[in-house]
Amino acid sequence: MKVSQKALIVGILWVCLAGLPGILPAQTPPEEGFREIATLLKEQNNKLSGDLRRIQREIAALRADLDKPGFKEVFAGIGYIFGLFGVAAFVASRRKEK
Amino acid sequence: MHISDGVLPLSVTVGSYVAGAALAAWSARRTRNEELPKLAVMTAAFFVASLVHVPFGPTSVHLLIPGLTGALLGSSAFLSIGLGLLLQSFLFQFGGLTALGANALMMGLPALMCGWFFQRYKGHTRVRQAVVGGVAGASGSALAAIFLAILLVTGGEDFFGVAKIALLAHVPVFIIEGIVSAFTIGFLARVKPELLKPLFMRPQKGSHG
Repeated sequence: MKVSQKALIVGILWVCLAGLPGILPAQTPPEEGFREIATLLKEQNNKLSGDLRRIQREIAALRADLDKPGFKEVFAGIGYIFGLFGVAAFVASRRKEK
Repeated sequence: MHISDGVLPLSVTVGSYVAGAALAAWSARRTRNEELPKLAVMTAAFFVASLVHVPFGPTSVHLLIPGLTGALLGSSAFLSIGLGLLLQSFLFQFGGLTALGANALMMGLPALMCGWFFQRYKGHTRVRQAVVGGVAGASGSALAAIFLAILLVTGGEDFFGVAKIALLAHVPVFIIEGIVSAFTIGFLARVKPELLKPLFMRPQKGSHG
């Protein structure tokens, strides 16, 4: 069993390796194809850099938004204020009782 | 209108901290126990008012309401404003912790002045109280702008330049705060006139601190 599996794998590999040199030259485009690819790449590059700039702007806007205080901070502050004055009132009332 | 960290020289920073602490202690001693809830509500209002932004040209300015705080709290206003500014610098990153003393003086002194002005001239009729309250509210922020200029002079700025910019940039704030203060005080005069009792002239009794 094992020997036959090994033989199968080796056979497949051999077929692939033998086939590769035959396939590769068929895929390489002629001289004009290179230019076409270069213009395509350039277009893609321009589009991507535009997208990247847009995303960078968005990140900057988000960071500016993050600096602004949100609801969490507002209610935290109000809670602190009422809590502190509550403690002050408690201490004052204790002092009065004595 | 906040002074940031590192703008003022060290001596002014320390000096304003000492003066601010002394005024806060005086303010706390003058506060009576029954006033604590009112103080808490006004402190919360002062704390949150700075988030109300008024669009003005390319930039925006926010409300400050030292005048209204002073008119309603009298001598306790400094304590309230000091606490409000402390929490603003912690939670909103307004101003800085080292500049807290200067900021407290800048907002607290106008509040005390407006409080005194309001108690002195408020009269007895509701309309007059509303009008005087509006004037106090509008002049509170104007005085704060002038105090800002005075404090920045010690950092090497030109007094009239800073004062002009600070006053001009906050003109809409003065107007809006005047209107808000007039309506608030007019409303309080109608529904709860005892909130507007003179606080500076009252004998000091049962104080806590």
